[in-house]
Amino acid sequence: MFTTRRDFLKTSLGTSALCSLGPAVPAFLSRSALAAAPRQDDGHTILVVVQMAGGNDGLNTVVPYEDDEYARRRPTLRWAAKEVHKIDSLLGFHPRMQAFMRLYQEGHLSIVQGVGYPNPNGDHAAAMRDWQTARPHQPDCQTGWLGRAIDHACHPGEANTPGVFVGQIAQPFGLNTEKAVVPSIKNLEQCMLTPEFDSAGPAQRTRTGDDNPLLDFLRLSARTAHADSRRIEAAANAPTAEYPPLPLAQSLKTVAQLIRAELGIRIFHTELGGNGPGGFDNHANQRGNHGALLSQLSESVAAFVDDLKRDKLLDRVLLITFSEFGRTVAENGRHGTGHGSAAPVFLAGGRLKGRLIGAHPALTELENGGQKFHTDFRRVYATVLDRWLGMDSSAILGEKFDTLDVLEA
Amino acid sequence: MHRKMVWACGLVLLMVICPRASAADSLPPANRWISPEAIFVVEVSQPEALLDLAFDPKMIEAVASLPAYQKQAEQPGFRQFLQVVRFLEMTLDTPWPTGVRKLVGGGVTLAASADGGALLIVDAQDAQMLQRLHEILLGFAKNQAEKQEQPGRVASEEYRGATCWTFGGDEAHAILGNRLLLANRSEVLKAALDLRAKPDGQSLASSPAYQNARAALSGDMVASAFVNLQPLKQHPPVKDLLTQSSSNPLATLLLAGVTEALRDSSWLAVGLDVEEDTLSLSAVVDGKAGGENSPAAFALPSRDAEGALPNLAVPRRIAAASLYRDLHRFYAAKDDLFPERTSGLIFFENMMGIFFSGMDLTEEVFGETRPEIRVVVAEQDYDSAVGTPQVQFPAFAAVFHLERPAEFAEVVEEAWQKAVGLINFTRGQQAQPGLIIDRPVHSGTKFTVAYFRSPKDADRTNVDARFNFRPALATEGEYLIFSSTEGLAGDLIDALKKEQAGTPKPLAETHSLVELDGAGLLSILAANRENLIRQNMLEEGNTQAEAETQIDLILAVLKYLDEAKLSVGSREGRPQANLKLKLDLP
Amino acid sequence: MFADNRTVPDQGRSEPPGTPDAGRPIDPDWAWAPYKPDTQRPWDLRRAGHLFRRAAFGADWGQLQQALADGPQRTVDRLLRPDADVEAFHRTYDEYEASTAGSDSADGLRAWWLRRMMQTPHPLLEKMTLFWHDHFAISNARVKNALLMHKHVQSLRSHALGRFAPLLQSVSRDPAVLLGLEAAANRKAQPNEQPARTIVEVYSLGPGHATEEDLRSAARAFTGWFVLRGQLRYIEREHDTGTKRFLGEEGDFDADAVVRILLGQPAVSRLLVRKLYRWLICETEESDDALLAPLVESFRKDYDVATLVETMLRSNLFFSPAAYRQRIKSPVEFALGIVRGLEGMVSTTQLGQDLAALGENLYHPPTVRGWRGGQYWINRATLIGRSNLAGALLSGSEPYGDKLDPAAIAKKHGFPDPEPAGRFLLDLFLQGDVEADVGDRLLRDVAAAGGDLSRRLRRLAGTIVTLPEFHLA
Repeated sequence: MFTTRRDFLKTSLGTSALCSLGPAVPAFLSRSALAAAPRQDDGHTILVVVQMAGGNDGLNTVVPYEDDEYARRRPTLRWAAKEVHKIDSLLGFHPRMQAFMRLYQEGHLSIVQGVGYPNPNGDHAAAMRDWQTARPHQPDCQTGWLGRAIDHACHPGEANTPGVFVGQIAQPFGLNTEKAVVPSIKNLEQCMLTPEFDSAGPAQRTRTGDDNPLLDFLRLSARTAHADSRRIEAAANAPTAEYPPLPLAQSLKTVAQLIRAELGIRIFHTELGGNGPGGFDNHANQRGNHGALLSQLSESVAAFVDDLKRDKLLDRVLLITFSEFGRTVAENGRHGTGHGSAAPVFLAGGRLKGRLIGAHPALTELENGGQKFHTDFRRVYATVLDRWLGMDSSAILGEKFDTLDVLEA
Repeated sequence: MHRKMVWACGLVLLMVICPRASAADSLPPANRWISPEAIFVVEVSQPEALLDLAFDPKMIEAVASLPAYQKQAEQPGFRQFLQVVRFLEMTLDTPWPTGVRKLVGGGVTLAASADGGALLIVDAQDAQMLQRLHEILLGFAKNQAEKQEQPGRVASEEYRGATCWTFGGDEAHAILGNRLLLANRSEVLKAALDLRAKPDGQSLASSPAYQNARAALSGDMVASAFVNLQPLKQHPPVKDLLTQSSSNPLATLLLAGVTEALRDSSWLAVGLDVEEDTLSLSAVVDGKAGGENSPAAFALPSRDAEGALPNLAVPRRIAAASLYRDLHRFYAAKDDLFPERTSGLIFFENMMGIFFSGMDLTEEVFGETRPEIRVVVAEQDYDSAVGTPQVQFPAFAAVFHLERPAEFAEVVEEAWQKAVGLINFTRGQQAQPGLIIDRPVHSGTKFTVAYFRSPKDADRTNVDARFNFRPALATEGEYLIFSSTEGLAGDLIDALKKEQAGTPKPLAETHSLVELDGAGLLSILAANRENLIRQNMLEEGNTQAEAETQIDLILAVLKYLDEAKLSVGSREGRPQANLKLKLDLP
Repeated sequence: MFADNRTVPDQGRSEPPGTPDAGRPIDPDWAWAPYKPDTQRPWDLRRAGHLFRRAAFGADWGQLQQALADGPQRTVDRLLRPDADVEAFHRTYDEYEASTAGSDSADGLRAWWLRRMMQTPHPLLEKMTLFWHDHFAISNARVKNALLMHKHVQSLRSHALGRFAPLLQSVSRDPAVLLGLEAAANRKAQPNEQPARTIVEVYSLGPGHATEEDLRSAARAFTGWFVLRGQLRYIEREHDTGTKRFLGEEGDFDADAVVRILLGQPAVSRLLVRKLYRWLICETEESDDALLAPLVESFRKDYDVATLVETMLRSNLFFSPAAYRQRIKSPVEFALGIVRGLEGMVSTTQLGQDLAALGENLYHPPTVRGWRGGQYWINRATLIGRSNLAGALLSGSEPYGDKLDPAAIAKKHGFPDPEPAGRFLLDLFLQGDVEADVGDRLLRDVAAAGGDLSRRLRRLAGTIVTLPEFHLA
């Protein structure tokens, strides 16, 4: 599809062919280019990534409530069988994740357990960087894995925007690119043209087919930008489902609106937990704070899933969560936990296969005091790239990783 | 241009006029002629007091010496204005200050309604002068209208026995005895004349909200304002502001339910008083001051004799704040007050967890503090052996009142030393110099200080910014002092000794008191003048000269501020705020 | 495109000898010979505007008029060697910056640099400093020390129009560069290959000229250098004194020797000439070796950047259609073109933030390869962002306030009435080079529209600077 489209645009931007045909043809071409844009992008798959900064305590997120070792190691922080939302006879969701329980039962949520990587970093910044670059222990790595995917999907000449960040903090490094400029979206207003200085009107009337391909490129881009602005405006004014007044929910609401606007954005990055070290870093008084964050996560994602489902868009969307590490199995004396290693990753969407993926890592064999990983996080990334976005994961990750069988064909 | 100027001056003059004439006595108060729909009303009932201040030679000298004024005075527009003033002085045969007093001395009232209608009522002391001025302006307006071949622009009509004039456009006015009514639309003027004709009609004066607001202000005000909050609260930006739940714990703690009170209120009343060189503004709303379950409850004195304590006095003080905040109760309610878990809050909890060795923050730490909290900001003296930083930060300190000082002071000492240790460890990792802990004695009180080694071979006039800090921890009686400098800690030990020699009396009906000391503020700003100018250049895009003008204006105006005092609290269950500005005129 | 009658740009186009033509290579002798105006290639407003877009950050009306009067070569003279106390200007700004850097504010540095670009009497120097910042691409995201970044860019500026050899020397000893390449510690036991790779493949030779062994040797040669407490230190016992083989030479090389050997390679000259060609002349066509050969040859002799820049700016090729509008403005060029054109100065704290959002965050290039730029500057989101930035700059209200006033500038230059003022703005920003029907319609609209003239001209200026043509450098 992309090849064809690129060729199409190359033709329309090609100087000689169009110049010789005179002004009538470019006008026709530009109209069709504009009209064709949304249809061309229709039906593509979309990835939403939620970064959870601070190191989420996976053990109290998906709780092995029957495990004696759990009870022993978590004297004040443990959740009892009657408190959790039971997934099966061994595991249950944190008490404040009832919305995730519902999504799980509806088949819109999967849990990949025991995700991590070899020789995990115990430092927030370094571990977060490892997850963001997907090149563990290479501090000088220049780009993020999503940034590389965006560069991969960004075709100069098309002026497309394959990925964006939606949130209030500085853009996470996962989106760092070598080539493309990745927008940071705080609100929908900034994505729309200010009416008073909207020059797309005159620009729309300018001809294409100039002998300067750059000028043609800009004229076409100005038109698509103008059309985007209109679409965003329409999406902003369209009704959405109810979202709770929480920052992540508001970010996801913006994501849903941008999905509806059909701009061809394939990667959305958003976050919960803020800038480093991050809200999930619960070394003290973990109980209430962790619960509040998990409640925000599950309520926000559930509102997003429900919203998309209503508009039959859910089948095109896959959401994944990640955090730089899990936490120590044993709690510390301050009613908190230290930096651990492996933790679960959540997938949410309309085309999930299998709900509980991989075993819950044992609490007896530990690494850095946390649970040991059995699934390398880059396998999750490879799955998302190869099987969902249709991008070449080995080109983006620099290595071939086995994918997981978690998505419907 | 010139014509507009003359009119503007004339109308300003008219605005400010009043009656010694007998007619005055027969006119009802201006608020009876104002519609009850008005949402914003300002009444200057004692113009004399304001005029005394404005025409005080000291004030004139102060204003005239401002660089901005001198610059303005060179503009052609300003010279034109002075010509008009001179012309009017001649024609009315009275000096300008006297003329203004005679024209506005009886009171001025301005009212605005939600639909944009505005009405100004001015009562002159000298009805004849008002008439004369009107005739002059009328002649002038007619003349101009004819010159521009629009003679119909200046017109008059009779309405309910009054002559309604317009000098052009939508403007409409009428003179009744010593009273001038000036409106931005003829319907507004007519509505006022309707009320005049029906003395028993529904007017502002008869509206219960207005009556309550007036009653809430203490008697004899120089001026007062009434704001009907109901329509204002429907205005989207205001609505957003009031409904936004604050996600910032510090803001919630500081505001202590002020936004909540505004949300619950239907009116706001503001009164102004002038006494010598002091202006006092007091504001009251009718919302509740916060019930048992309101987020503001942590700022409400639970016992009668409690409240914010008077501020502490230290040398070279810049600002001081005294708060009454029950931290224990506030922190216990944090899940309701700010449900989000920001990275900052988590970091705070983690650190407190370390410093206080896993003690329960709410019960075992905040539970040990009493609600009287004071903050002091002062200019600091730099040790010449250390040197002066290029950017100078003032010293600042917080003073907490402890429930059980004997037991808890050492717990805090341990926590504080752990914090210094952690800072040192982190700085060491970044290859930066760390702090050394010392235990000096001041006025017989032993306390703890951490300081940086003084640099070798450094330029003593431009040392690193870290030399702004010499953090100290001290306990004096029942009070715990956290200070950014050793010097301020010492001054506070002295101030607390002095205070405890007597018994500090809590301030009545006050949960927050903020004081600014003009001299100290001026001094610290002046010390940072260069930096302020540079910041202004970058942030405003000003040239260096423009930036200097702006900053110097602030410095020049501050010179005339002796002290500003803002207190917030409640009286008879209603939230109220008072602002006192004490001027220091040359 | 270069016709005299600017309202009919497509007419009268004629190809002078040697002009790039479909399929036929450009004659290098013609290309690099100094441009002399003639009837077919007259010295006009458009060529003057083109020169100021490339060699500066756009021009104001006075500069354009002065250039028309002076002719091209004299104008290039002025751009290279301005007739002003440049040193005094830089002393003042260095002092401003140093105080900001002292409080470790990279945002402050960014704001000062933008302001320097707006105010400088020597814009070409800033343009070239930006070129080197893009080339060496050290980011404060890694350095995390504003004072070192300040010194780094100051050093780039001092060499920007000097010689490349001392520049590369100074870069290889710059603590900011070592921190920026994650090479704060270069231990004998663990030589850092990644920074060596960057210095060889990004800074000097380009990829494919050095073997893995060469890179290992370079890394070993850099051992012994550390950055401690923000200061460069050489620790002798950590230096690997063993024999290294580097690019065909053998010896106990240290960092200086590596730089010396690199500077002896012909690839250095080729890499830099090519890069500067993209920066100053054209980014659309891959430059062919034959065309650049004369410049590569002469630059190799002395690495004199000023001479290379001078040759390019004076050349026939520079003033030909092969260069005209063959670059896309970076966000900085876009915004400064507006601000300088309107002879104003705006909040650079705010502008720095807004430009970062458009992809050009000064002091923070995205990777060690700098900003890719070109067509990558443009996507639908950044185009909307550029329009909204132009709107904010010209709206007369917050956050930029009323610092730019098109009506006042038009009036100042003798165009108080709507239609002529509109034509003035078209000439100022686009030198009138816009399709005739678009230009005519804009002028008709501004003349016909009612209301406050200042407001109307703000609108018009906003529309002009968001036309596709204005995004071209």
